[in-house]
Amino acid sequence: MEEIKSTIIQRIKTHFSDATEKEYPYNRVDFSVKKETIPAILFYLKDEMGFKHLSHISCIDWLEENEFEVVFIVWSPTDKIKVFVHTRVDRENPVMDNVDMIWRQANTYEREMREMFGIQFTGLEAPEEFLLEDWEGPPPMRRDFDTEAYATNTYWERPGREDAKDIRETIEKRSGEILPDFAKKYTR
Amino acid sequence: MMINDKNSQKIVDIIQNYARKHSLWILAYGTGCGAIEIPPTMTSRYDAERLGVRGAATPRQADVLLITGYLTTKTLKRVIRVYEQMQDPKYVIGFGSCTINGGMYWDSYNTIKALDRYLPVDVFINGCMPRPEAVLAGFAKLQELIQAGKADGARKYKENLEWYRANQKKVIPNWRMPEYNW
Amino acid sequence: MREKATTLYIGPQHPGITGNMMVRVKVEGDTIVKATTEVGYLHRSFEKLIEKRNWLQSFTLLCRFCVPEPDPVEESYARAVELLEGREVPERAKYIRVLVLELARIASYLLWYGGQSASLGLYTIGQWSVGDRNYILDLFEELTGGRVYHMYIWPGGVRRDLPKGFENKVLKTMDYLEKRLDDYDDLMFDNTIFRKRTQGVGIIDKEKAVEWGVVGPPLRGCGIRSDIRIDDPYEVYNKLDFVVPVEEGGDIWARALVRRQEIRQSIRIIRQVLDNIPAGKYYNKIPNPQKWALPKGDAYTRTEAVRGEVGMYVVSDGGTHPRRAHFRGAAYVHAITLLENLLVGENISDIAAIMNSLGTCPPEIER
Repeated sequence: MEEIKSTIIQRIKTHFSDATEKEYPYNRVDFSVKKETIPAILFYLKDEMGFKHLSHISCIDWLEENEFEVVFIVWSPTDKIKVFVHTRVDRENPVMDNVDMIWRQANTYEREMREMFGIQFTGLEAPEEFLLEDWEGPPPMRRDFDTEAYATNTYWERPGREDAKDIRETIEKRSGEILPDFAKKYTR
Repeated sequence: MMINDKNSQKIVDIIQNYARKHSLWILAYGTGCGAIEIPPTMTSRYDAERLGVRGAATPRQADVLLITGYLTTKTLKRVIRVYEQMQDPKYVIGFGSCTINGGMYWDSYNTIKALDRYLPVDVFINGCMPRPEAVLAGFAKLQELIQAGKADGARKYKENLEWYRANQKKVIPNWRMPEYNW
Repeated sequence: MREKATTLYIGPQHPGITGNMMVRVKVEGDTIVKATTEVGYLHRSFEKLIEKRNWLQSFTLLCRFCVPEPDPVEESYARAVELLEGREVPERAKYIRVLVLELARIASYLLWYGGQSASLGLYTIGQWSVGDRNYILDLFEELTGGRVYHMYIWPGGVRRDLPKGFENKVLKTMDYLEKRLDDYDDLMFDNTIFRKRTQGVGIIDKEKAVEWGVVGPPLRGCGIRSDIRIDDPYEVYNKLDFVVPVEEGGDIWARALVRRQEIRQSIRIIRQVLDNIPAGKYYNKIPNPQKWALPKGDAYTRTEAVRGEVGMYVVSDGGTHPRRAHFRGAAYVHAITLLENLLVGENISDIAAIMNSLGTCPPEIER
């Protein structure tokens, strides 16, 4: 296992000069690259090194650093190793290269990221809407979008759940409802 | 059926309600996670069919719209359309805590918090997730209401259509739906 | 003469569809020429809400990710949290987790029996298998307190120990189910209608399967032996003896045969777990959840669910709340890009059967 891992790190480092690696125990290897290198490194991993299975694409909003982090996780069915490829995208102007010609299913992940984080993928061919419909407002998964304030402004909420008060007495007073015995013996 | 004589009308109503309460066809539309407890309710152990409850494939054949759980605004639009396509008599059952007060989705930006603002609900079943016994109890309660002539959600909806429409349009900004003429 | 193409909307309200989603198909006569999936009817913004909950509160949301089989999601999140913190799990808890996961697998397969056969018009099997599924839900109820949602697997172990006499109840249920499975075979796999409707329908190309992101039973139905339990072992699966069934063909029939054998393997695993389960602690206590902060870092864990590989990517920024918990569901790939490919050239009447055979689960796509 350790041998295969060091070969992977060596091969990637010779081909991609901007890649910095980070080692983890067991079967995980991490690389960080510039966003321009992403299609090339993924092509290389898939076609030359046998990382055929795209396991996951995720995105994290680092609001404090004003950047998005995009993570690609690929898995090699022959070597049983997963490789993480991290990249950073500027939050003000989030543009990335589209990778759905490498894995068709990346298209779905990119559609979701475009909708939820507002990252634009150059040349992505897909309908504008994915999960939301007629959404007006900022991309909802960004950290600065306040979901609680939005929910309070948009939807009517039934009063009575503002606090965690004991409501057993209220239930008992309500039109003849009797509280079962087992509920009485539990106290807060 | 309408009869001019007041006493005869009463008898007709009783017979009509008796027939209605024993044939509740629910629309096969699993709107949320509550749909997982519907197969056990319908199959051998709990067997809801003995109450006359069974599935119907299309809105026009169905009597009961079972809202199984939270509704996102995208689904709410479809549910309203489905409800308006259903024929009288029609009833709505709100299933799960999230139809009552939002449940655990109280701060979600995409789900409505109280179903009865948007559709007239006849019976609420609480719990997350309600057990099949609770679902059966809900149906029994609905039957009780129908026999007493109190399950009149559809009439309420027709009378207060403007209020319901205003609420619906508030959460569905892009309203592109046909207006059904009852 | 070329027939005129018509667009049909299958769903979201359609008895054949698996859950709340929509497939827009363009048909010429009875043949599909183009299919587009539309999802988003169940988007509850779980991942946004988890950012507002602390590490332990997230569990109430997690089990709602996929309704028919919630335990793999809890397990992968709990394992990711343990990886982040470096927390040890007692051996007994690992065995109990495997027991719960396999029980959930059987329950989910029994539900699939009903869905797959009902999509072809065979309703008796559903009456039987969904009824039998209740026996497993009864076990869950005794163990965890809930029929559908359990919130049983927690960071550091499991929430409660096995109740007294629970092992015997499980064994009894397994004995019953094993006998019952032969009845299902008579009704489903020896059935000419089932055979004719499934053989040669919805074929996944073996060469392209891995690249297309096919996982789980559909991939094993193509003749590729791939299972997270063996390839990337978690909990105690590497100590247990079981076979990963593989079938050739890549059609609905092959996928059904794989699932048929997997139930038997799950029963085998459960028997081994009950034989070998060690005594001892079942839970390593976690600190006060309100103040429980995890070190900075990220972790990705994968679990083999009935639909295939599910994963959880968890990022911590050193606080008491998760920075991000991103779920990867098998249906995310199966129900969108794969389904759109598979449906082309098939008949309208086979849509429901193909969707069921892929194990489509909409809540896991939209979250």
